[in-house]
Amino acid sequence: MFVDLSTVSLVWPEFMLILIATWMYLGGTFSRGRAMWTGLALVTYVVVATVLWRNERQLTVEAAEGLVRVNGPLIVDYLGQASRYACLGIGVLLTLLAARAGGPQLATEVLGTIMMLVAGLMLVSRANELVFLFVSLELISIPTYVLLYLGRSDRANSEATVKYFFLSIFASSLLVYGMSFLYGVGQGTTLIVGTASEPGIQQAVAQLPAHQQSLFLIGLVSVLCGLGFKLAAVPFHFYAPDVYQGTTHINAGLLAVAPKAASILALIRLVVAVVPPDWAAGWRLLAVVAMASMTWGNVCALWQTDLRRLMAFSSIAHGGYMLIGLAVALASPATGGIAATLLYLTVYVLAALGVFAALAYLSDDACDVRRVSELAGLARGRPWVAGVLAVCLFSLAGLPPLAGFWGKLTLFTGAIQVAWESESGTWGWFLALGLVGVVNAAIGAAYYLRVISAMYFTPPAASWAGRGGPGTALAMSVCGVLVLVGGLLPGFVLRTAELADPLRQQARTAVFTPVTTLTEEPAAHPAPVVVPAASADRPHLVPEVGS
Amino acid sequence: MNDWIRLLMWLVPALPLAAAVTVAALGPRVLRGASHWPVLIALATSCLASLLLLGHVRQQPVGFERVESYWTWAAVGAAGAAPQDAEPGVPDALHPRGDLVVDIALRLDTLTSVMLTMVTFISFLVAVYSVGYMRGDRGYWRFFAYIALFVFSMTMLVSVSNFVLLFVFWEAVGVCSYLLIGFWYQKPAAAAAGKKAFLVNRVGDFGFMLGVFLIWTTYGSMNYHDVPRPAATAVVFDAAASAGQTDAAAVQPGVLGAERIRAQAYVGGGTGFAICMLLLLGACGKSAQFPLHVWLPDAMEGPTPVSALIHAATMVTAGVYMVARCTPLFGASPEAQMVVAAVGTFTALLAGLIALTQFDLKRVLAYSTVSQLGFMFLGLGTGTLAGITGGMFHLVTHAFFKALLFLSAGSVMHAMGNVIDMRQFSGLRKLMPYTFATFLIGSLALAGIAPLSGFWSKDAILAAVHGKAHVLEEALDARHELLASGEAKAFRTVAWMADAPAVHAAPDVLAAWSEVQLERGARLYGLLYYTAVFVAFLTSVYTFRMLYLTFYGPLRVPAAAGDHAHESPRVMVVPLVILAVGAALAGLWMDRSYLNGTHPFAQLLEATPSLTGAVAGTEALGAFHFGPAATSTAVALAGIALASGLYLAAGGSARREAVGGSIWYRLSYGKFYLDEVYDMLVVRPLAGLAWLWARADDAVVDGLVDTVGRLPLVLGRVLRSLQTGLVQFYALAMVVGGLLLLLLSDPELTGRMWTWLGGVWSSGVRP
Repeated sequence: MFVDLSTVSLVWPEFMLILIATWMYLGGTFSRGRAMWTGLALVTYVVVATVLWRNERQLTVEAAEGLVRVNGPLIVDYLGQASRYACLGIGVLLTLLAARAGGPQLATEVLGTIMMLVAGLMLVSRANELVFLFVSLELISIPTYVLLYLGRSDRANSEATVKYFFLSIFASSLLVYGMSFLYGVGQGTTLIVGTASEPGIQQAVAQLPAHQQSLFLIGLVSVLCGLGFKLAAVPFHFYAPDVYQGTTHINAGLLAVAPKAASILALIRLVVAVVPPDWAAGWRLLAVVAMASMTWGNVCALWQTDLRRLMAFSSIAHGGYMLIGLAVALASPATGGIAATLLYLTVYVLAALGVFAALAYLSDDACDVRRVSELAGLARGRPWVAGVLAVCLFSLAGLPPLAGFWGKLTLFTGAIQVAWESESGTWGWFLALGLVGVVNAAIGAAYYLRVISAMYFTPPAASWAGRGGPGTALAMSVCGVLVLVGGLLPGFVLRTAELADPLRQQARTAVFTPVTTLTEEPAAHPAPVVVPAASADRPHLVPEVGS
Repeated sequence: MNDWIRLLMWLVPALPLAAAVTVAALGPRVLRGASHWPVLIALATSCLASLLLLGHVRQQPVGFERVESYWTWAAVGAAGAAPQDAEPGVPDALHPRGDLVVDIALRLDTLTSVMLTMVTFISFLVAVYSVGYMRGDRGYWRFFAYIALFVFSMTMLVSVSNFVLLFVFWEAVGVCSYLLIGFWYQKPAAAAAGKKAFLVNRVGDFGFMLGVFLIWTTYGSMNYHDVPRPAATAVVFDAAASAGQTDAAAVQPGVLGAERIRAQAYVGGGTGFAICMLLLLGACGKSAQFPLHVWLPDAMEGPTPVSALIHAATMVTAGVYMVARCTPLFGASPEAQMVVAAVGTFTALLAGLIALTQFDLKRVLAYSTVSQLGFMFLGLGTGTLAGITGGMFHLVTHAFFKALLFLSAGSVMHAMGNVIDMRQFSGLRKLMPYTFATFLIGSLALAGIAPLSGFWSKDAILAAVHGKAHVLEEALDARHELLASGEAKAFRTVAWMADAPAVHAAPDVLAAWSEVQLERGARLYGLLYYTAVFVAFLTSVYTFRMLYLTFYGPLRVPAAAGDHAHESPRVMVVPLVILAVGAALAGLWMDRSYLNGTHPFAQLLEATPSLTGAVAGTEALGAFHFGPAATSTAVALAGIALASGLYLAAGGSARREAVGGSIWYRLSYGKFYLDEVYDMLVVRPLAGLAWLWARADDAVVDGLVDTVGRLPLVLGRVLRSLQTGLVQFYALAMVVGGLLLLLLSDPELTGRMWTWLGGVWSSGVRP
């Protein structure tokens, strides 16, 4: 390991978040002023974003131009840089959502835990080392347990929390188990590049002897099990409906967003970076899981009458959609599969948070809006809430001109493009992937429309009150407007996602700057490994080492 | 100055569009009863702008055209048609391999300018009239929004310089017509009439569309005008050989452009005939010519101002305008011109006969419109300058007197409580003096009584047909003499279109005709002339029948009118009076043959590029032809006399008629049962097929879709049952799922695992 001061300076924003969270835990024992703590949390996110901007502007600009740096356990590229801003945005939305969560006594616990979780997300987005990645993921998992526990104090909530706790620990153990295999075949814990004595796993796997490939495969599948749990991908999804149903709207929103984002980022960092170019088993695994998740999630969602359970199955399906892009990236790096997945993830996060925020706005501890039928006539009573819900649901269904349409479009066209360009054996898989995706989009539309029709075309059953408070209202509105604007003007998100695609970026520019640029003692580190150029048709993550 | 013209050119259509949008946006809530103001202001300004443009155009030299391109609407690269090698004698460069570029370009020439002025002027008057007529209607704002939208579409239709856009606005006026016929959509008859108009027009539009496609593949351009060719892509233009010009390389010739007209590079033969027939099919739909005329009488279900504006004065003349615009194309195919003339005359005769016995005042006028449009087509079908300008002349005068008649009929209808059946009222002369006077003027103009406008224009057409027949006979005689003296090779081909040469040099159109064509032409046009004279007789009969039944005899008003049968308000009467002045004097003003043998209107139109080159050298309007004039006046007077004898003398009663049931009477009264024939031949078979198809759709397709739709539900039901709620099961599922994935991803590993398991099994079992 070669952690030094420059590495610490790179994770300074995350440190700040954790420090302030800790401080909030302590301060909470002296002052329970909910508004104050919420305000402090919001200010913290803004300040951290500013610090991030001031400290790493140069790095970010260079990363946008295609420069990739490796520093200790961190990788500094545009994906990581852009993701961290996005994570802070998620933090703001979650804080707004949770402004009234946890009862009158537990404000700092909830808000501080969310802050921890955001720090974990930010770390995952730049992880280039197995242990670092695992710890970062745990920094997401453990706060999640706490938040689930804080959600509500009844039997259903306890059951949900316990279920999630046990299964998540199980999944983490699978993840660590898989990582140990990777460590074994890769002879190190660094994912890409590394040092001469300890090259990155990527390079080691590229030259893996044939008899060790099964070991690598076992490791990969185990890792996929662990990360698939967070993504709620089939067959690791079973917990999702039960947990979502048992917990609160706010926690369900958090579950639908944070672990999924972490999982996708970790998959990009771990799987996409490590799996060698000419290795079909990788994308085949992802494709199978993708198709199974989409279909399973959507067909089960058709039957649901409970809103959170419906959204749980929907989130399973959306996890499947996102895997399409990763499968595409593994099969054909230049197609921009990761960009499509990132775009889809962003759009999904906004739409899902919007839905849960709207539901949270209508609910409080005493009155929980649970069933689809309870939304009857919402459009009459609360047109703005119904409008935001409708926009977000339409976006989840993938209808133009909303952001979800662009997400699905880029994913499916990517799959079809691979099918079009690749030789026999591959094209059938990707054609199937694209077609299953399209059919599922149609199935999915059915249950979203059911909710919308309940809101718009059935007579009101009850009167509505904004029980969730101004925070949820603001979060909901921001999500709805962003989904609409992102659909009408998708250029910005599309471009950012394209820049953040590590494979596409490498295909365009390939500059590698070693750690030394950031350290005070360049001689202290051995020269980086010279990575042989990858085969022409699949540019490797770091194809060539510059001077 | 030029900038002013450019501005005016787009203002003319833009103002009605802006008015339409404004009224549509503000009408229902803000403007309500004042919805007419934006439209009136826009139409008045448009009309003024059109007049300014007309004044500008009049000062320009012959052949003046101006095309202002505003922006490119569509561009398809390298879509150019391949040269048609099969057409001999057509220079390659006139089949340019161009890009398909559709510019939003407006053109200005005399034909467009005349149409613009006519359309905006009549629209404005009708809009003023509608303020009174439509007052209190629930859809007041909707009506004015539609009217403004229609004026926008119609002005664009006559100003565009491209066949694609012509088609677009051709459809747009169709949509407006549909909306306005079905304006009172609560009335089943109105809704059905709107649908009928739309569907019948589809048939014509389909032909029109095919015609446009064929123009594209034949001529490789969609523009009327020549487009300057970018220097880099200029190709050798070897039309110079046939045109005697050398400076043509700079342009990409349009279909109706000056270059092509000068070179006379128009495809005749089968292709040219097909283009013309397809275009004519489109014109027949829009201008209600046989066999597609059936929609127009039903269209009278719309509000009367709409009947006056769209279904008498403007939209239905779009077909006439289009055929006149495409004169060079028709000029290349004499057979096509004969068909145009024959269709027009037959329609005129048919509609005239039907109009004799109808009792619905507006329907008589509708059939009269069909009949008069037939007259216009007859004029166009002569293919001579006199005929085409005569047809357009009739278009303009007809717009005046037919709009006048419709609006007067509307005035009657307004007073009679929406009753329009002439058997239910009579003797309104005293009750509605202004309406009677204007109706009388309109009737005299329609019947063709000198010196009202209808006389001059109808006479121009009759004279042109007469002249055409005469010219053909002379040409035939000359040909026979030449053949007899052996100076010319016999050109006695019976093959109809195939052998016609592709390129006609303008002055020698007739020289290219074979003897057979000349002989047939002479006979045909002779026959058409006498038929047209007979139709003129019919016209005056039905016109005065209508007049006598409505305004003479004992005063009777229907019960629906109540006791408030009265003259219409001033806002309705003033437009009537203005139109009446126009209907009375327009002919005298536009046609000065009686003074000095000139025809200012015809001279103006002849300056249009499509006309000036294409039919130059043929007979022009100007001289006063005493023979046809005397004949038509005589038959018109005879018709009036007959009508007077039948209806005036009988005390204006129509009831006697209804019982007189000869076969001819019933044929006419039943509109020759064409609707029933169409119903039997087209509608019922199609409806039967549709019924069959619907059953098949329900049973097969829907069944299939339902099954497919049920599949996810069934699958979901099965998968749901796995959701047991037991953590142990979930953890087990994760492990088993992971193992399955492992097996799936590596067949080799799977094989080894089985071997290993087998080993464990056997070693475990053996001991």
